[in-house]
Amino acid sequence: MSEIDLHLQEVLGRAEEEAAQDGSATIEAHHLLLAIAAGPDPALTAAGLDHAALKAALRREFEHSLSVAGVSLGDFDLPPATRDPERRLGLGASVKLALDRMARAHRKKDLRPGHLLIAVLQAEAGTVPRALALAGVDRAALIDRVRDGLAGR
Amino acid sequence: MASEDPADALAAVAALRRLADQLEDAAVEQAMRAGWSWPQVAEALAVTRQAVHKKHAKRLIAAGVTLRRRA
Repeated sequence: MSEIDLHLQEVLGRAEEEAAQDGSATIEAHHLLLAIAAGPDPALTAAGLDHAALKAALRREFEHSLSVAGVSLGDFDLPPATRDPERRLGLGASVKLALDRMARAHRKKDLRPGHLLIAVLQAEAGTVPRALALAGVDRAALIDRVRDGLAGR
Repeated sequence: MASEDPADALAAVAALRRLADQLEDAAVEQAMRAGWSWPQVAEALAVTRQAVHKKHAKRLIAAGVTLRRRA
């Protein structure tokens, strides 16, 4: 198995854990980003996005988006649901889009871990760009920093 | 809606779906722990008994909830 395949397998495995903790039925792009941040990833860390900071940013995005519809998370106090430890989660649409972007941009033999992060960060709509914007992160500058890292700059 | 921005409205829909999924898991577990049957829970959610069973049975068995067979 190639290095990039090992990396993808490891990150997707970690992302599945993030999705399960989240009570999500599918693995989404923000779970993939959390998995990469847990690495940790130098470019994300430099942007102030370690795993805990990213998790807090995603929580704010969730609360902010709910508030647009007049819903507050604090209004619900049901006990958390028990998870099925055996359940395997499938890839959600946002992860498939990121993987497609990555596959279209590079030949397989040229792929490196940073390319996956760039593909996740390139989403123009959805949870990831909204959470980063709310956290005050300049997404374009972050993508440039990952590219610099790939180029050894 | 508290926003004119379509991005906000679409994000609200996505967030509400996530919240509804989380609430469904919690509410079904709470009902089954309280002794509700599958047909009762299915009727309350307006879905088929098969759908609610398929979605939640394994999880609740793993959680050690005693499941009633009949209404």
